[in-house]
Formats: sequence, C-alpha cells, structure tokens
Amino acid sequence: MAEDRVERTVHIAAPPERVWDILTKPEHIGHWFGTGTPATVDLRPDGVMVLAPAGSGERYLAGVVTVDPPRYLAYRWASAYPDVLADETNSTLVEFHVAADGAMTRLTVCESGFASLTIPAGRENFASHESHSRGWTEVMQGIVDYIDKGAS
Amino acid sequence: MTTALLDHADELFAALAEPNRRLLLEHLGAHGAATATALAAELPVTRQAVAQHLAVLESVDLVSSARTGRERRYTVHVEPLTAAARWMNQVAARWDARLAAIKALAESPE
Repeated sequence: MAEDRVERTVHIAAPPERVWDILTKPEHIGHWFGTGTPATVDLRPDGVMVLAPAGSGERYLAGVVTVDPPRYLAYRWASAYPDVLADETNSTLVEFHVAADGAMTRLTVCESGFASLTIPAGRENFASHESHSRGWTEVMQGIVDYIDKGAS
Repeated sequence: MTTALLDHADELFAALAEPNRRLLLEHLGAHGAATATALAAELPVTRQAVAQHLAVLESVDLVSSARTGRERRYTVHVEPLTAAARWMNQVAARWDARLAAIKALAESPE
C-alpha cells in the first residue's frame, strides 16, 4: 500500500559490489547511518545490526531478514524502540535493492509497514517548523497530492 | 500539534488503504461538504457503501459530520491526513540524506 511505504532511489557512479560494501560493512554503516564509529553487524538472517543514528544518542537493534549480495538486503528496524530487538510487531521493514544501471548503480531503499506501528507518545519527531502557518490552500493541496500519491 | 495520527496510526493507514475511501476524501476535498446521497450520485458506489466508508473515515477523524435537515453533511478533516503526510515526508527526507551519504562514500576513492 502506497501510504504504508517510503521508497527512495539514488544513482551512484560505482559498481554494485562497492555499493554493497558501503551498505553492509561496519565502518561504512557507522558513517552513513551513525555517529562515525563502526556499527556492530552480524550479516546473516536473524543476525543483529546495532545502529546508532547520528544525533539520536541512542542505539537500535535491527534484525537482519535477507542477505543476497550484492543485490538485496532486508532488515527490520524498531525505530521507535531503542535497545529493543526488532520484530514484526514493533518495526518497519527496510529493504535495499542494488542493481547495475548502465555505467551506474541504482540503489533503492524501501521502508514499509508503518500501518502496523504504534508510536509511543513523545517519540513522534514531527518537524515543528512545518506545523505552523499552513494556509488552507496549502492544506488542500497537501490532501490532493497525498491522495494522488496514494492512488498511483 | 495533534497526536491523533500517532495514537491511531494503524487505523488511519487502514482507513486510507481502501481506494473508494480515498476517492471520497478526494471528492470532499475538491468539492466541499456533501451528504452521503450526493456523494453516491457522483461516485461509482452505492449510498449504503458510501455511508459505511464515511463511518470508517469518521472513526479515524478524517471526516466530520453535521446534521442539516434530514441528512448529515460530511467535511474533510485535514489534520490527520497532513500529519500523516508530514510524518512520511520526514521519513523520506531522512532516507534521502542517508542515500546521499552512501553515494558520497561509494564514489570516493577506496
């Protein structure tokens, strides 16, 4: 369901194997997902990745679901529950698709399963600057854009 | 800032998952308040089905209704929808930042 997932894509001027290394090696994850220190990664199904996103001061115990180098990596991430091992009731599924695309590599990330989440009060992390001074026109446009996106 | 979305995120997304309910929201958003009878005349759905969909939408605060004469008129209630959109946009923005960092690392000399 489109409302239930976020999907983003980037094109990278490097081979898929290089992108896979960045996605999975502890020192690289520490850089792009964290505070700079290497992440703890047990890269196999049911293995645990310890993620410490920059700025959060917290760590998250992601559960590895599928490892298919260099094409596909999936793990569950309980982004509302620090220090709690991700399972199917408290987490979203994060999937990385890596594919050669001409001379480039296409990397797509899909995070899904928001519908089954209940976010604890106080952990909403809404962008506060967006919650003010939205006029009626913008609000209506937002509805239409949102529904259009959902229907596609 | 309402926390309605966060208290009822699963119900909200479930309500939005049904295509006819999205159609109803879109119609109410574009044309303003309407009764179930008027909506059924505009959309490929029976009045009874429209009434059921509106009840689901009202249960998660996506529409509100007020009695006028013999029928209730329904109005889109935007806050849960914009809160949901804002939340998803923020999740997307975080991934954009992470993907940009991955790209920079992958394209830098090993």
